Amino acid sequence: MVSYRKYLVERTLTFIISMFFSITIVFLVPRLAPGDPIKTALEQVIVGGGSEIEKTVEEYKRMLGLDKDLATQYIFYIKELFRGNLGYSIMYFPTPVIDIIMRAIPWSIGLLTTTTILSWIIGTFIGAIAGWRGEGSRFFNILAFIALGLYVIPYYIFAVILAYLFGYIIRIFPLSGGYTPGLMPSLNLEFILDVIWHSTLPALSIILSSLGWWFLSMRSMIINVKGEDFILMAEAKGLRKNRILWKYAFRNAILPQVTGLALSLRNVVGGALLTEVIFAYPGVGYLIFTAITNMDYPLIQGAVLFLIFTTCFLNFAIDILYPLVDPRIRYGEE
Amino acid sequence: MLSYNRLERRASTLRRLFTMLFSNRIFTLGFTLFMTIIIISLIGNHLFPQEFIRVGNFLPNQPPNLEGHLLGTDSLGRDITAQLFMAVLNSLQIGLIAAAVGTALGTIVGFMSGYKGGIVDSILRIVIDAFLSIPSLIFLVLIASVVKTVDVWSVAMLLSMFSWANPARQARAQMLSLKERDFVYMARLSGMNSWEIVIKEIMPHIFAWMTANFTNAVLWAILTESGLSIMGVGPQGEITLGMMIYWALKYVALFRGLWWWWMTPVFTLIYLFISLYLMHLGMDEVFNPRLRDKRG
Repeated sequence: MVSYRKYLVERTLTFIISMFFSITIVFLVPRLAPGDPIKTALEQVIVGGGSEIEKTVEEYKRMLGLDKDLATQYIFYIKELFRGNLGYSIMYFPTPVIDIIMRAIPWSIGLLTTTTILSWIIGTFIGAIAGWRGEGSRFFNILAFIALGLYVIPYYIFAVILAYLFGYIIRIFPLSGGYTPGLMPSLNLEFILDVIWHSTLPALSIILSSLGWWFLSMRSMIINVKGEDFILMAEAKGLRKNRILWKYAFRNAILPQVTGLALSLRNVVGGALLTEVIFAYPGVGYLIFTAITNMDYPLIQGAVLFLIFTTCFLNFAIDILYPLVDPRIRYGEE
Repeated sequence: MLSYNRLERRASTLRRLFTMLFSNRIFTLGFTLFMTIIIISLIGNHLFPQEFIRVGNFLPNQPPNLEGHLLGTDSLGRDITAQLFMAVLNSLQIGLIAAAVGTALGTIVGFMSGYKGGIVDSILRIVIDAFLSIPSLIFLVLIASVVKTVDVWSVAMLLSMFSWANPARQARAQMLSLKERDFVYMARLSGMNSWEIVIKEIMPHIFAWMTANFTNAVLWAILTESGLSIMGVGPQGEITLGMMIYWALKYVALFRGLWWWWMTPVFTLIYLFISLYLMHLGMDEVFNPRLRDKRG
């Protein structure tokens, strides 16, 4: 356990350093940028007399502690962060940034968890069958070629093409939003079906692009396992082919796939920003996009920091938990 | 004489490397596709006058035609063919700069970390890991959104901030395994200092790995640039493949039937990704001894 303790310390340090670095940059960048972003942004929102703006800016700066020197501000900023305060939005003044983010988070997490698991299941099973059939089957060779293509092409390219095909050419799916405007968000069947209907295209773009990788890795894993002695033994015993695949080969090949799934869960919050932008899906990605268009810097900062924190934290959690689950993982040593 | 021999040997190593690469069909295919689009864009960019991409220069929304606009014009009255050539060159420029800076920086950091060992290594490794765990696109969105006037160069520099960590981690691992080899001991015994050993003895061994890594980094940088542009924080004043998609999306080209506008950058990106990936795949086959042995 000594080496695990050392590993734990290293991972914790990595997490703290990445967070410290991120917080510092997120804090510094708008303050070192030329001009006064907050004033510029407020001037855009508030149409009115100069004294009105000056007063709001002053008030705003006082709320954020911007009237003090940089070091005091920094300490204040970190203190507020620990209290869960990410500042106040300009677009929706005076709503706290954290409230707006919390409204968007379920959409992002819902979309990404569903698609990650779905594409993992589909890719793993088809990959297993393809690997079992081996390199002799023409159909599965073509499939492997297509999978390679899916793997290389980024998800937002799929999003654009899907939006065109199923939103413009064949108008089956809605082009934007998370649900039909006017519908009350609640937990009834009508609303849930509406959300699924709106999420199909965004989901499909993510599934398509991650499917290829799951397929290819499972396929090569099964091909490797096929050469093992215990498979030969099972064949010699005269077991049915299907039984050998699912009870012997599949079970042995699945572990690295599970590791892969666990690792990919780190992107479950911020992994589909661009799909959200293209489909105007009400997740965090689209939130950041609208905040950029409206120059709502506190919101951009808050959302960015939130995404970095969740990603780094999931990363950290997976890193420290996984060796406990799978003892074969060595503690970060090459 | 001795130095001449060494030069000769290194030249022949390079030559052998290229012969090996170009005897690989996948690499050659990728390389040919890649060079084709670069050469076409270079010539095209040279032939088309600058005002072809000026806003309002032509009748907007023209579909592709043979009377001057092979790929049509956009809603801002710019010729799309001329934009494409410029975009390919700009996107590649971003990719190449970011990849070059990232690979160079990463190799130096990784080498230092692996070669020195001890406390330096511990610190550098944690910093490398920290950079790898930060989601780069999100981070870059923030910086680019505040620095309002980003151009091709500054986007490339921003991307370099994150493109060094991955090569650094790999360079470190390479160094750890190489520095224990006999020829390095030999070199040390013969009185070479650390830098000489790294440059003369270790560099040739990882040159192959560096080129494969470089290709991957170019791909990543082009991909991230498009991502940044679609988020609305790309180089607004210039034309890259990502910015072409951004403008097409902004003017709803998708749902107004202006297919020639958005399809041009989208399919060019797919083409670029595939050609770069084929090159990477081919290099992997050539340089990775385990894969090579499998093929026989």
